[in-house]
Amino acid sequence: MIKTDVIIIGGGATGCGIARDLALRGIPHCLIEKGDYAAGATGACHGLLHSGGRYAVSDPVAAKECYDENMILRRIGEKCVEPTGGLFVRLPGDSKMFRERFLRSCEEIGIPTEVISSTRALELVSNLNPDIEEAVKVPDCSIDPFRLCMLNMKTSEMKGGLSFTRHRVTEIIQSHGRCIGVKAIDASTGEVKEIHANIIVNASGAWTNLVARLAGCEVPITLSKGSLVITNHRLTDMVINRLRPSADGDIIVPNEAVCLAGTTSLAVTDPDKISIQPAEVDTIISEAGRMLPHFNQTRIIRAFSGVRPLLKSQKQDSREISRGFQIIDHQNGMYSIVGGKLTTFRLMAEKMVDTIMAAFNLKRACETAERPLDGQEELSGYPLSRRLADMKNIVCECELVTRRDVEQIIGKTGTRNVGDISHRTRLGMGPCQGGFCTFRALGIMHDMEILTADQSVQSLREFLQRRFRGIRCALWGDQLREEQLVEYIYLGILAMEHNK
Amino acid sequence: MSVIEYDVIVIGAGVAGLTAGAFLAGQGLKVAVVTAGEPTACLSTGCIDVCSQDENPLRGIAKLPDEHPFHLIPSAAVCQALSDFQQIMTDRALPYAGGPEKNHRVLSAIGTFKTTCLAPVTMQASPQSTDEKIHIITFAGLKDFYPGYIISRLKNASFSVYDAGVSTTMGIATGFEDNAFLEAFILWLEKRDIRENKIAVPAVLGLESAAAIMKKIESRLERPVFEIPTIPPSMPGRRLFNALKDHLRRQEGNIYWGWPVVGVEKTGRLIEAVIAESQGRPNSLNAKAFILATGSFVGGGLHARRDTIIEKIFHLPVFAPGERETWFEQDYFSANHGIGRAGIAVDSSFRPMDCPWDNIFVCGAILAHTEALKNGCGHGFAIATGQAAAKSCLERIR
Repeated sequence: MIKTDVIIIGGGATGCGIARDLALRGIPHCLIEKGDYAAGATGACHGLLHSGGRYAVSDPVAAKECYDENMILRRIGEKCVEPTGGLFVRLPGDSKMFRERFLRSCEEIGIPTEVISSTRALELVSNLNPDIEEAVKVPDCSIDPFRLCMLNMKTSEMKGGLSFTRHRVTEIIQSHGRCIGVKAIDASTGEVKEIHANIIVNASGAWTNLVARLAGCEVPITLSKGSLVITNHRLTDMVINRLRPSADGDIIVPNEAVCLAGTTSLAVTDPDKISIQPAEVDTIISEAGRMLPHFNQTRIIRAFSGVRPLLKSQKQDSREISRGFQIIDHQNGMYSIVGGKLTTFRLMAEKMVDTIMAAFNLKRACETAERPLDGQEELSGYPLSRRLADMKNIVCECELVTRRDVEQIIGKTGTRNVGDISHRTRLGMGPCQGGFCTFRALGIMHDMEILTADQSVQSLREFLQRRFRGIRCALWGDQLREEQLVEYIYLGILAMEHNK
Repeated sequence: MSVIEYDVIVIGAGVAGLTAGAFLAGQGLKVAVVTAGEPTACLSTGCIDVCSQDENPLRGIAKLPDEHPFHLIPSAAVCQALSDFQQIMTDRALPYAGGPEKNHRVLSAIGTFKTTCLAPVTMQASPQSTDEKIHIITFAGLKDFYPGYIISRLKNASFSVYDAGVSTTMGIATGFEDNAFLEAFILWLEKRDIRENKIAVPAVLGLESAAAIMKKIESRLERPVFEIPTIPPSMPGRRLFNALKDHLRRQEGNIYWGWPVVGVEKTGRLIEAVIAESQGRPNSLNAKAFILATGSFVGGGLHARRDTIIEKIFHLPVFAPGERETWFEQDYFSANHGIGRAGIAVDSSFRPMDCPWDNIFVCGAILAHTEALKNGCGHGFAIATGQAAAKSCLERIR
């Protein structure tokens, strides 16, 4: 049995942020995540560090929080934030009145804006639709959500915090009406860990209610699915937003070598049963194509969905529900933290840890806004020259990942999951979406005796099935051609069996 | 623009195109094969899959759905085409084992068995069951071959690693063409005291001389040796392509390599010429008839747009399985992805249905209703339809 002060359930941005804040305030803690870090909505979003502009008209409080946090994160998280700047573009037919309200709200909140002509906008982003009426420049940024989580966890690790990924909480242990710990099962070994603590924080996002119910509690949240597509190259160096009330497909964000566009917004009930419809993909592409006409010809390498955990409200349209957050004290030693945005994760963590400190009757101020994220010095990237020096050992040609990179991650994390390697090296993130390199990565895992021969074959099958969910609805053009080649390799050359 | 006159132009240099081209050239016609680049045959295992729906490929064909283009060819003609192919490959010193009445099993690189009709002689000794005792040799640093996958299914298999000093498929295959390299490998093998009855290697035994290299190892080690096909780059696929290309040239057929077709000239109900680009300059390739063998999506003959599927050279009518939603099943491992049926539907003489021109013939993977993966209709289907389309074409010209 493990004993600690605080258990955090959920390894998204909020959970990782709480772990960092607790670490900096000297509180022992243990984070439990059923998948990998950033596996839920954190990793399945645009990676947009909002300037607040998006919510300025509809939700000024959330907009102000976004703007303030944006300024903080640029300062403390240089290595995972790219200060791209953003444009809100107004297309012919878009309301001029909304533009006025937008500018006025931004001014009231304190979000700096600059109205620029279409000519100037085209100088900034040459792929932009030349027919735009005008654009408003805002301080949007692009952020790497996975890296953000890892850097937050670095501080936790340095201060002795515990964390278990691929562990699912199966039971919340109660005694005399109080939550005193959890049981969590290790997905790869089946081993059950029992962890005891004084406080349990439920930061499990879309899964909040499923976790809360383990302690007999209920949390008033609404789940809203948002779908996105990834292009195979970077069509813009700035974030592009549509200057109109939030609607489908009106944000495009550059991230590393690709762009993400979305989203949609559909109410769902089960966060584990979500799928993307081809019609959603078509909507996103045609809407994004109105801002960046290139989008219509660009190769889409994958589509995916995330589930937003929103505060329950009377409002019918989930887009109108506040993006604010709330901490719920279940009065039994468990707290749930719900709502919010990736952009405001640090603030959410701060408020959560303030609450915990008050419960422990301890006084120590939050330092997360001042101190740069730990571990950034190690993130000097992988210089191309170093990767190319080991050319013959490259296992992922799309992202230039070498056998050594894969072996290092396996050695460090002991993972048996090829997804964990992808997250940490970008293996399989390129145009072939792991079609070639996963066969190799799993072969290497068997060589290293991490997986048995049977497990590597089984993992390969599961991987292909999972991978297909993301690409199936975006198959046409060159991506379909590549996919047919991958199918030919696995089901033809390697003769994997069809399902009956 | 240069203008070159032929009797027949074949578009596409895969197994179907090269078979059709060589057949017509062998009949004394002036033939050219024009291709944008390497065919997908180079990515293949080199095995000649006819039909996997029955132990007997011919009976398997009979079981295929009515609309399957294999039904357009009489069994005897399928056998003839396959036997002609075997003769060609024997002449090119890369014999193929097997015959049209029985399917064989070829061990894959993940330990499954692939069903095929004719296998390169280098795969002839491939085990037919999971009990066989085999010893697998792999090469240090070879990133596309992991014996562990095979051992998961063949419990009596073991492996050892040979450091050849090179680690790519192509590099090792090039090495085997050199006698000293081969000798060093054999000496190493002899010292290993291998107990198993058979020796397996990934398919890297030479660029061209695989059959001879294998024989040499077999005679020294006194037991069967066989190759396991690998993911691309695939040496057996490349050997097959080179042999068929060589055969076409011996029949005095021409091949225009790296000449993408960019335009078509037509008069009334006839295609007069295709315009092919070489180094950015257009060339008119005029002919009495044209054979379309550009392959399916991977080969580049078909192209999917968001809402339609098009044929890229002549814009022939394409049979599409339905709306995009129906192209792929949810289950990746389903045998019934609708996209497998997309292609050009043809009449009994391999002319496209509803086609405004009379002198186009179609063969190979671009044909509609093939469902190559589901039915195991691969190169064998390409050979049979290639020869059948060529025969129809010959009839028309004469």
